[in-house]
Amino acid sequence: MANLPQVLEWTFIFLLILSAIGVITASKPVYSSLSFLVTLISLAFLFLRLSASFISTMQILIYAGAILVIFMFVIVLFQDAHRQISILPPKSSSLFILFAMCGFVLIIALFAIKLIGLKQADPMVPEVYGSVQSLGRLLYTDFVLPFEFLVIPLLVAVVGTLYVAKKEK
Amino acid sequence: MDLSHFIFASIALFTIGLIGALAMRNVLIFFLSIEMMLNAANLLFVAFARQWNNEIGLVWVFFIVTIAAIEAAVGFAIIINLFREKQTVDIDQFNELKG
Repeated sequence: MANLPQVLEWTFIFLLILSAIGVITASKPVYSSLSFLVTLISLAFLFLRLSASFISTMQILIYAGAILVIFMFVIVLFQDAHRQISILPPKSSSLFILFAMCGFVLIIALFAIKLIGLKQADPMVPEVYGSVQSLGRLLYTDFVLPFEFLVIPLLVAVVGTLYVAKKEK
Repeated sequence: MDLSHFIFASIALFTIGLIGALAMRNVLIFFLSIEMMLNAANLLFVAFARQWNNEIGLVWVFFIVTIAAIEAAVGFAIIINLFREKQTVDIDQFNELKG
């Protein structure tokens, strides 16, 4: 007998897959970005179910708050492109795409079949698991070097974006 | 606690993202598809971190999300520039690097 949390999990997984398909099949970029928002929210819920509360919050803040907003700005800049999306069908027929999808899932399933004997995760989870405190402690002790080195790609991104976006004289 | 349905969701999300990146011709959809594939990897990381009660998987998700944000900033700057040049969002028209 399935209990309520499990039903909720399956509902959100269904919503996740449905909205992900919506992202790539929507008729306008605005619709696909809104569909992507639903994907992100269901993912955040799944993260919460996996007791990763900090990651779940970060998912909403960074993806929905930052990346999706940039995306909306780009769509606004692409005003003319709105009309074009309907005349851009995929080059291969949808039957081929379906075949490719099934083949890919089969290949992954061949690897995933080894996971069948995996033992069930411990239902008890430490009190601090996935919290800001314990993740922050890890980031500032074991992972302090990778964490500091993240500055370099960020700096490259800032300088590179300014350089690329600069208008040619 | 059974994790198999999370693995299933991750595979499905990655496959949809891959199809979106390879088959669709709108550069904006291409971008969202890449983000979806990154998210599928994140879901798998979180699921297996829960499996072994090991938070290092969550730290990796933190890094992946940061890199995804950086990639979005640079990528959008590039596609806005390309759009200015070509006036189209058709990904097949962007072939400057073709040998």
